This record gives sequence, C-alpha cells and structure tokens, in this order.
Amino acid sequence: MIRLQNVCFNYDRDRTLTDISFHINKGEFAAIIGANGAGKSTLCRLLNGLLKPSSGSVEINGLDTGHTKSSVLARQIGFLFQNPDRQICRNTVAEEILFGLELLYKDREFIAERLEKVLSMFGFSAEDNPFNLSRGERQRLALASLIAVEPEILILDEPTTGLDYKECIEIMEIVREMNKKGTTVIMVCHDMEVVLDYAERVLVLSGGKLIADGETRSVFCMNDVLEQASLIPPQMASLAGRLGSGFEDVFTVEEMTELILEKSNEKRRVEV
Amino acid sequence: MIKISNLTFRYKDGRKNALDNINLSINKGDFLGITGTSGAGKTSLTYAINGVIPHHYNGDYYGSVRIEGEDTFDTSPSALSLKIGSVFQDIDTQLVSSVVEDEILYGLENFSVPAVEIEQRISSALEAVGISSLRYRSIESLSGGQKQKVALAAILALRPKILLLDEPTSELDPESSVQFYRILRELNENHGITIIVVEQKIMLLSEFAKNILVMDTGKIVINGSVREVIDRSSLLEEIGINCPRVTSLSNRLKEEGVYTGSVCINVEEAEKMVRSIIDD
Amino acid sequence: MRSFFDYIPGNSFLHRLNPLSRIFLSFMISIACFSSKSHLFLLLMILLNLVLAALAGILNRGMELLKNLSKFSVFIFVLQVLFVRRGEVLLEMPFNIIITEDGISTAIIIVLRLIGATMPLALMLSITQMNDLSNILVVKLKIPYKYAFAFTTALRFIPIFASEMSAIIEAQVSRGVQLDTKNIFKKTRLILPLCLPLLITSMKKIEGSAISAEIRGFYLRTGESCYRKYFINWNDVGVLLFAVILFISAVFSNNIKL
Repeated sequence: MIRLQNVCFNYDRDRTLTDISFHINKGEFAAIIGANGAGKSTLCRLLNGLLKPSSGSVEINGLDTGHTKSSVLARQIGFLFQNPDRQICRNTVAEEILFGLELLYKDREFIAERLEKVLSMFGFSAEDNPFNLSRGERQRLALASLIAVEPEILILDEPTTGLDYKECIEIMEIVREMNKKGTTVIMVCHDMEVVLDYAERVLVLSGGKLIADGETRSVFCMNDVLEQASLIPPQMASLAGRLGSGFEDVFTVEEMTELILEKSNEKRRVEV
Repeated sequence: MIKISNLTFRYKDGRKNALDNINLSINKGDFLGITGTSGAGKTSLTYAINGVIPHHYNGDYYGSVRIEGEDTFDTSPSALSLKIGSVFQDIDTQLVSSVVEDEILYGLENFSVPAVEIEQRISSALEAVGISSLRYRSIESLSGGQKQKVALAAILALRPKILLLDEPTSELDPESSVQFYRILRELNENHGITIIVVEQKIMLLSEFAKNILVMDTGKIVINGSVREVIDRSSLLEEIGINCPRVTSLSNRLKEEGVYTGSVCINVEEAEKMVRSIIDD
Repeated sequence: MRSFFDYIPGNSFLHRLNPLSRIFLSFMISIACFSSKSHLFLLLMILLNLVLAALAGILNRGMELLKNLSKFSVFIFVLQVLFVRRGEVLLEMPFNIIITEDGISTAIIIVLRLIGATMPLALMLSITQMNDLSNILVVKLKIPYKYAFAFTTALRFIPIFASEMSAIIEAQVSRGVQLDTKNIFKKTRLILPLCLPLLITSMKKIEGSAISAEIRGFYLRTGESCYRKYFINWNDVGVLLFAVILFISAVFSNNIKL
C-alpha cells in the first residue's frame, strides 16, 4: 500500500532524510517516533507528496508521488496537522465538512449522506461557528472533515500536541475506530504512552535515518535504539527494565499489577 | 510574595467566568506547577498575575492580585515586569529581534539598565540557560528548543524575582522538555527565583515542581505539595488529567492490598515499591 | 521558511558601517535608478547591487533576489509592451495588438528600474539588525519609538506570515484543494478563501506580540534607553560621498546618448 525505496531528501539543510526504505500494509497502525528535528514531519510530507524525494521513490497504492499532485493523492490520504486553524476555513461546522467533501466528490446525495454520518459520529451541531469551539474541538472538526471523505490512509502529524489528556484520548479513540474499519494509520507522536497504547508498529528516526522498525513492544525493549534517538521509554517499560529478569514483556499497568500480584503470592506461599 | 484574593474575571463577551473566585498565595522560592484541562483558566490566571488582565484584556474584574503588596490593578504590566518575567506559549510572537544578543538587549534597554552593567547581564543570562555559543546567531536559524531558551534568557537578564511560564515545552520533545525543566530547577534552587509554570504534562511537574495547583472551569480544585496532589489521582482522572503510570500502578497495588506505603511519583520510587513487595 | 530580508550575520565592511550610512546608500541607489533613463546606467546599478552583495558576503541572497525579481519582471514587461502604442510598429498581431519600439524600450527601462531599485533595500535589510534599524530611526531620525517598533515589527512579521501561509497551503493541498496547479488564475481563485485562516492566526500573533512587548517594559523605554552607540567614521563619510556621486551620475546619465 505504502512503499518507500531508498528515499533521500536533501533540498533543505534543516530537513534531510537518508536512504529510507519500508513498506506499510493496508490496515496497519504505525507510529513514527524520534526527537525534534529527526525528520518525522519531513517523512510525513513525503508520504502525501507535499515534498518530493530527491532520490528513491515513494509509492502510494502503486502511484508514484513524484509524478502525482498532493491534491490528487488527497482522495486516498487524509493528513491531520498539528494546528487545526490552518485547515479550517469555513464559518460553520457543516460547511467546513462539506468543503472537503465537495472538493473530491460530485454526487449531491452521496455528499449529504456523508455529512450526516460524520456530524452524528462526532456529535457536532451543524451550525456552530468553528472559531467559537475550543482547540480540542477544532482538532476534532479537522479530523471529522478528513474522515468524511473516507480516505484509505490517515497520516497524523503530532495530532495531540497542545491538547489535554481527555481531548487527546477522544482523538485517538476515533482514529483507532477508523483503523479497526480498515484505514491504514501513520502517526507522529511524542507521547510514548500514547504510542504504546495505540500503535502496533513503530518506526524510529534519528538524524534523518531510520534506525529501527518493528513491533511496538519489541522496539521499546531496544534500549540502545531509544537512547540513540533521545527517546524516553514509557514508564512501565523503564520500570520493567530496572526490575530486570522476570519482568520482560511487561508494558501496561494491568500487566505489571498482575505480575506483581503473582510474584507476591508466590512469595507468601514460600513463606507459609 | 503573590497574594490573590477572591479574584473573579470574565472576558468581555465571555459566556462564563474565566477565573472564578480564586484565592491563592504564592511564597518566595516556590516552584508551583499549574495544571488542568484546556479552558480551565490556567492562562487567564497567569495573565492576572502579570497584569495583562485587566490592563490588556477588558472584562468584569472582582477581587485583587497583589505582588509584594502592590495591586496589579493600579500598576501597568510594563512596571510589573520589573518583578515578574513572563514567557508565553507562542515563541515566534515573543521574540522581537533578528539576533540572539539583541533579543537579550531589548528588555535591558527598555529598563534603562546602565551601560556598564549590560555586558555582564547578557553574558550571565546566556550562560544560565547554556546558550553562550548562540550569542551572535540569527534567531531565524535556531530550532524551537533553542528559541525557547533565548526567550528564557531574555527574561532572566532582567533579573526578575518571579518567573511565570505558560506551557514552555509544548513544542519540545520529551528529552528537550526535561532539559528545560532542569534549567528551571537550577534557577529556583540556586538563584532563589520563584517559578510559576503552566504545564499539561503532569509527569514533568511531579518530577520538578514543589507544589501543584489543579484548575477546572476557572476554579482551583486542589492546591498542595506534589505528593498531596498526585495522591488524589482518582479526582485528577475524573477532571481529565492523566496521572503518571507509576502512580496508577501504586494505586492499583494499594487496592489489591499488597502495598500500603505512599503513592509513587516516579520510576525510582516505583522500583523501590515493587522490590519491597516481591523481594525478601 | 526564510524571507528576503532575514538578517544574515557577518563582519564585512558593509556590516560594520553605521546603519544610517547603509540606509542612506540603499535609498540613494533606489533614487538613482528612478532618476535615470539610461539602459547602461541601470544595468551598472544592478551590477553594483551584486558587487555590494558580494562585499557583504551575501551574493547568494543577491542572486536569488535577482532571479525572483526577474520572474516578476516578465509580467511587468509583457504588460508594458502591450500597453504602450506609441512609436514605430515592429509587429502587428490579431485583436489589434501591436508591439512598438517605444514599448519595448520603456518596458526594458521599467524592468531594470524595478530590479535596480528594489534590490538595495532588500539587501540593506539583510545586513541590518532590527534593533539597529529601530534605534537609528529613534535616535538619529527622531521618530517616536512606538512607530519605529511598529515598523520593525511589521518587517519581522513578514517571514512569520509567509511561513504561516505556506503551512495553510500545505494543509489545504493535503485535503484536495488544487493549489499545486500551475494555472496562475485558478491558483489565485483558490487562495482567496484561505485569507480567513491567515487572518485569524495573524490577529492572534499580533496580539501576542503586543502583550509580550508590554511585559518586557515596552512603556518604560525612553529616548536614552539605547545601549549601542553609532559612530560615524571615515568609511561612512566615504560611503555617503559615493552615494551622492551615484545620484549625480544618474542625473547626468540621461544626457549621454549611447
């Protein structure tokens, strides 16, 4: 579905990527992680053709982004930016959602149906002014107008920065829902707890290079990789690391609680 | 040092009170973290402390804010800036110059700091945040984290007694955020600067702050030491504030009856806790 | 994103000049360009701009500016050629469009003037720090600080707005607005609705900027607050003389027929 082959990007000295290759299959939920300036946002922009690779190729469903305009790719890829205010350009919630739909579809009936569906899914009232909504609600609106066109791929570039925990979870739950229905999701995120909770696969960038690519839990066990990328592992993972043997493969509070209870019962049994 | 009594504020055209009967005193040398969901009134509270409310934003204002006995209602934000240095969220609008050195100079010139003192002030401010090497760089060429430090240095050069920061690390990655907070801690511990910081990431506050204030819908919900606040994690979660995972873990273990100590606020403590449960 | 007047640090002869001399020189080059009708003189002025850019170590910026101004000039050139109907007819085309010798000659002058007069200002801003600029305006030209600060703030906001606009365009292209089209008319029509998000963000930024100036003692500033002292030395005198000579030769260049 998404295939990068030996992609380099070096038009801009602040944003360089070197020799990146990977492919992402339909329905995956992948996170791109790394420190500020590691090249995460650049990589996202290469995926939907906003940036073109200097060498190598990026293919989306067989389309080479080098020869396809981003506005054409928009039918397949929804791109959620950090700041919703750059996307929202209409005076009511309904118009904002319609704006995106009408760009890509002509059938009136179909458009009306999609609008209704998204409005009820997000619980928006159609006539609200987007600029009276809170930051978190505006981010949800931006996501709603992307989802309205039902893209096959969702790219999220730090979608939860500036949101509080509640708003963050709201956004992520919708994304998870879309993923379950078959949407491929690629997300840039700084919050490792969120990455751990939602992503199945993690790509680690450092200094413009892909230094690790694998199943989320196994990547969070690679201490040297995390250190090289200046990442702070999720708390349960670092706690498990400190506790050492017997605590491998523990990543959530539930798992940790269970294991500790088991061990303390064992200890009691021995004492008895 | 700062005393807020019965402060209520509603922005002009606002539908509800942004600040609702706030009573708070902040002592010299404190490191206070302010947290809460968005729209809870955190930024408004910082505006009330540095005088932007009521001098820049109009609205219904009741109660009083006193900085070392001086009422902010009668003092302009510029005059208050002699005591309180503020660093805002949007770094691009905050920086006024094209070169780092000039950025530090800007406030010093405004304050008419004597020329003989200026060189020393600039170099010590840059040193305090560890960016002496950036002195002659153009601001445009800096990364977000570096700009954040320049903004802090520009404020520090004015030698404020109180430092007020609104989500200073919102654009930074976790590692750079921790670095930034280390600088704040050093300023607080070694230079006696009172620090008030608005922060969403409670993990950073639990590690670096001395006290935490939790706001919700314009009111203060909890105000106490880090441990006192984190201890009430169920209330925090109800409001929509995410507690550190180690805190949830210690709470779970308490519920299960295998742990009776105090709540954990960082990984070190959690390790000790687990070892005390499972080791002999 | 970088704009054409972001400050580029350096320690060249031009960087070390009194900012006032730099401002004076750049304005005199501009004025000279507007005063001259000689193709040769105007070409020399453009060359001078590039030499000055090279002296300041910013030849890249100079060439980039020249390239972009040239692109813009093509429009001006075409318009000018089509509008001027005086003089000997060189070419007749359908729809009563004629191209005359006068048309081409004035078009060339206007384009050269435009390039020659715009470049020095942008180059001067590239090697002058905002604070120096506002200090000079306040201390030497006696402009109230409030206005000087507003002026430099406006300059500072240009790149911020430009990068905001390109971020907005990115966001809109990603949702399917065909702003990545090559058709300039279509692009203009599509860009207009985007003024709303730009306006909203701009208002927020301007307000933020006003507040942060205020809380760093903006209103405490007095005319004597300026820390840096700006001395006039022999280099400055030389540059000032050179600027005056440029202007005089611009006036004389009109009398020389080549």
